Amino acid sequence: MFKLNLKIALRNLWRNKGITAINVGGLAIALAAFILVMLYFTYETSFDKTNPNYKNIYVVGRIYPDFKTNYTPPPLGKAIKQHFPEVEKMGITKGIFFELVLKNGNNTVFTNNFLQADYTAAEILDLKPTGGLEKPAGDVERLSYLSKESMKALFPNKTDNKPEMVTVGSSLMGIKNKINGSIINNPHSNVTFDGVSIGNELGQGENYGHNNYTTYLQLKPGTDVANLQEKITRLYHAELLKGETDRETIDKIKGISTFLDPLANQHLKPKAGNDAPYKILIALSVLGILILIIACVNFTNLSIAQATKRAKEVGVKKVMGAFRFQLALQFLTEILMQCFAATVLALILAELVLPGFNNLFLLKLSIWHADNGLIWQLPLILFLITVIAGIYPAMVLSGFKPALVLKGNFATSKQSYWLRNGLLVFQFSIAVIFIIGLFIINAQLKYMRSQDLGFKAEQVVYIKNIALFSDPDKFEPVREKILKIPGIKSATVATGIPNGTANGTNTYTSNGVQASINYLDVDFDYFETLDIKLKEGRFFSKAFKTDTANSAVINESAAAKYGLSNPIGQTIIGCNTNYKIVGVIKDFKDRGFENATQPTIYAIKDPCGNPKMEIMLKIEENKMADALAALKAQWPEINKLDGENFRYAFLDELYGKLFKKQEQLQSVFFAAAVLTVFIALLGLYAFAKYITNGRLKEIAVRKILGATDVQLLKLINSSFFILVVIANIISWPVAYIVTNMWLKTFAYRIDFPVLPFVTTTLITLLLTIVTVSIQAKKAVNANPVDALKYE
Amino acid sequence: MIKIEKLEKVYKTEEVETTALNGIDLYVKEGEFVSIMGPSGCGKSTLLNVMGLLDKPESGSYKFIDTELLTLNDRERSNFRKRNMGFVFQNFNLIDELTVFENIELPLIYNKVPATERKKLVNEIIERMNIVNRSGHFPQQLSGGQQQRVAVARALVTKPKLVLADEPTGNLDSSHGNEVMELLCELNETGTTIVMVTHSSHDASFSNRIINLKDGHVISEKVNKSRNEELI
Repeated sequence: MFKLNLKIALRNLWRNKGITAINVGGLAIALAAFILVMLYFTYETSFDKTNPNYKNIYVVGRIYPDFKTNYTPPPLGKAIKQHFPEVEKMGITKGIFFELVLKNGNNTVFTNNFLQADYTAAEILDLKPTGGLEKPAGDVERLSYLSKESMKALFPNKTDNKPEMVTVGSSLMGIKNKINGSIINNPHSNVTFDGVSIGNELGQGENYGHNNYTTYLQLKPGTDVANLQEKITRLYHAELLKGETDRETIDKIKGISTFLDPLANQHLKPKAGNDAPYKILIALSVLGILILIIACVNFTNLSIAQATKRAKEVGVKKVMGAFRFQLALQFLTEILMQCFAATVLALILAELVLPGFNNLFLLKLSIWHADNGLIWQLPLILFLITVIAGIYPAMVLSGFKPALVLKGNFATSKQSYWLRNGLLVFQFSIAVIFIIGLFIINAQLKYMRSQDLGFKAEQVVYIKNIALFSDPDKFEPVREKILKIPGIKSATVATGIPNGTANGTNTYTSNGVQASINYLDVDFDYFETLDIKLKEGRFFSKAFKTDTANSAVINESAAAKYGLSNPIGQTIIGCNTNYKIVGVIKDFKDRGFENATQPTIYAIKDPCGNPKMEIMLKIEENKMADALAALKAQWPEINKLDGENFRYAFLDELYGKLFKKQEQLQSVFFAAAVLTVFIALLGLYAFAKYITNGRLKEIAVRKILGATDVQLLKLINSSFFILVVIANIISWPVAYIVTNMWLKTFAYRIDFPVLPFVTTTLITLLLTIVTVSIQAKKAVNANPVDALKYE
Repeated sequence: MIKIEKLEKVYKTEEVETTALNGIDLYVKEGEFVSIMGPSGCGKSTLLNVMGLLDKPESGSYKFIDTELLTLNDRERSNFRKRNMGFVFQNFNLIDELTVFENIELPLIYNKVPATERKKLVNEIIERMNIVNRSGHFPQQLSGGQQQRVAVARALVTKPKLVLADEPTGNLDSSHGNEVMELLCELNETGTTIVMVTHSSHDASFSNRIINLKDGHVISEKVNKSRNEELI
């Protein structure tokens, strides 16, 4: 019997090749999207899961009245370990976030993230140097390990696991350091690094003010975390309050509490941070599930639209004594086969799309990876979609009354019309939201790319540098040498570059107003190099001796903040210096479009500032290549500290990275819009087929009575037209609220556009008419007698 | 063999109630060939559907040999049907996706007949129906008469006690119609009981007894003497 049923199924699918392809293909595409979402979900929720103590590891953090932080002082961890027996292990780490240049002969690697960890932290975090974790000897020894990739780059022919010596910094400086071996950097962990340096103890002699370590606790299983958290807060207060008498300080200390945050939450929803990634992940998962369910329902609809063709078969089989459950099982098996085909197809599709997906989100996901959970998830999904997509058609088909269907007249119930209409409206609503969203994202990105930034990042080259140039006299010889190279128009050094990073803030007083504003320390030619516009006064100039002592330039926002209507010549006091304002510049978008330009003061001399290290050059475009080559050649002479390690970046590219997130969003919306439109059209196609099949007789009669093709197409289209209009109207407020919320995250944004709403409506209506007409055309063109003969 | 008493069947829609069977009494003897005739809407198809257990009446009794069939549940009805009854329809109702051979084989599969025996039985009946060279064809490739012969073959392959035929010649021209009627007669002569619904008095003349229905009642019964004499 199975063989015959299989034959019927295959011959049927083959006879309706087009429908089968649409049905299986549609499901496959939705399933592929779902598989990607599932892979992403598994990846995002399994950071550090390979750590054997994953569930018992906590990060200690502190809560101030206005912010939370994971930075803790070294003595706190020690005190915790001493006082609370439920803490099995305690370890601390500290990052080094400046660039180290490591060399072995001509092989060079740059490390940006060298982690310092004490031995227990390395144990807790399951750090695995090749050859196993070793305990450093004594208090001073540090065991340094480089990531496998860096080790390979430095010592390409190394096969043993013996320590090696490397040069740190430029070879002229000649500092040597020992590297004990290589270590695996697991990108699928909250703790990532280019290298690790392990000591027995970190932060010796540092006190409770040195809040720049991360403290990890490994608790004994079954520990009452909430209780421990309270105890730690009490301990922290007790330690800080030792010898403290000042009332105000005591109150301040009591306002700080501590928390324990599971390692498992660090990646998606750390307490000291935001849970936006978690929310985005959940939203994405919901979207994935929704798309899959909708695709399943479409599958169901299309199957039922095809039901008339199987009615006779059901009737005949029932007459011959088939039980209903046998028939239901037969149809379920058929649908299982189709779903299986769709799953295989979906895997292929996902595999094809995955490189692009990885590229977009900077991930390395793979389908053929045993630990991604697909092995048990896929069969489960296959089973679920078979049930969701198959139960209803199986019930309907197996429920046909043989006495009716064998006479050739049967109609499916009209009860499900509301459900179907609702589903169609729902599908289109989602599609419309994504299309509108896509249009608005496009508009904002276009605006961001075309808008005047207030400065020119083009042809500005940023040079990485480890020498400190806070004193203008120290930079002057460097500048002179640089400017001798043809094509270089100007050179400057500052504490920061306009690539979106926040500047420091400090308190300044002027015009009787005290306010916290941003500060940036610059050198001569800073404004000229970046082509920033002057509003009044002047830029810094070597002609004025006072400029290297106490001159300041402020921006428009700062002038407004202090209410300075005539700022030139006024005094602004900060950092024990009485600055004289010599110029006001127009605000420029140094922090991209999301953050508004802050009130900022620019000075050459700043006792409170950080060292100036960021060199920027303006180079003529047509001499760019030559100038860069010359710079590289001359760099050991210009800047001994970096020597042959001449590294540069184009400022416009660095600034462009601020757009990366929006470009990701744009890609996601593009994919979602295409997918949801596709699925909505699929649903529409099935529905239109179903409706026209049900109206074949009506169409035939109308045609005999003289209706033209156009009139008939209009007739069939009109109900769908209304549904899609309703879907659009429903989506408008949702799309408005969501896109408006998104636009509000930008300090500089487009006026809310109306056009996307109109365009989207027109697009969806056009697609609807085309889809429905393709389906209706067949019915309209058919010979009316054929439809009536079934009587 | 069949004893029907006070059978009532009412079709209800939202507004109208139509009484299709209004207290019908009927008997059929084993080996009989009974025709049911009557105008459109008289209830003859409903009666046939009830007899074939495809439809349930509101009340009454339907005894087959000595078994009361109206109290059976769906499963039992299916079982009873597949063991005892064969059907022939006006519009043939062959499954388009299956070949002639497979169509005929289908009821045997539902009766759990082993494959080798199935093959034997199907081949036998194909030979008897004179459609040997058609066994690999699909229904659409056959003429109407041939399709109905396949349908009859399918109804007979399980050797049912009762064959129910619903206007078996309705979609055929007269020569093909006669072929099918002769086939049914032959079948009847080998002992199979047949109940046939028809519009055609020509077709009815092939049967032993003609029952006339109107508005859900039996209004007359006529024994076909010529045919019965033939039998003797």
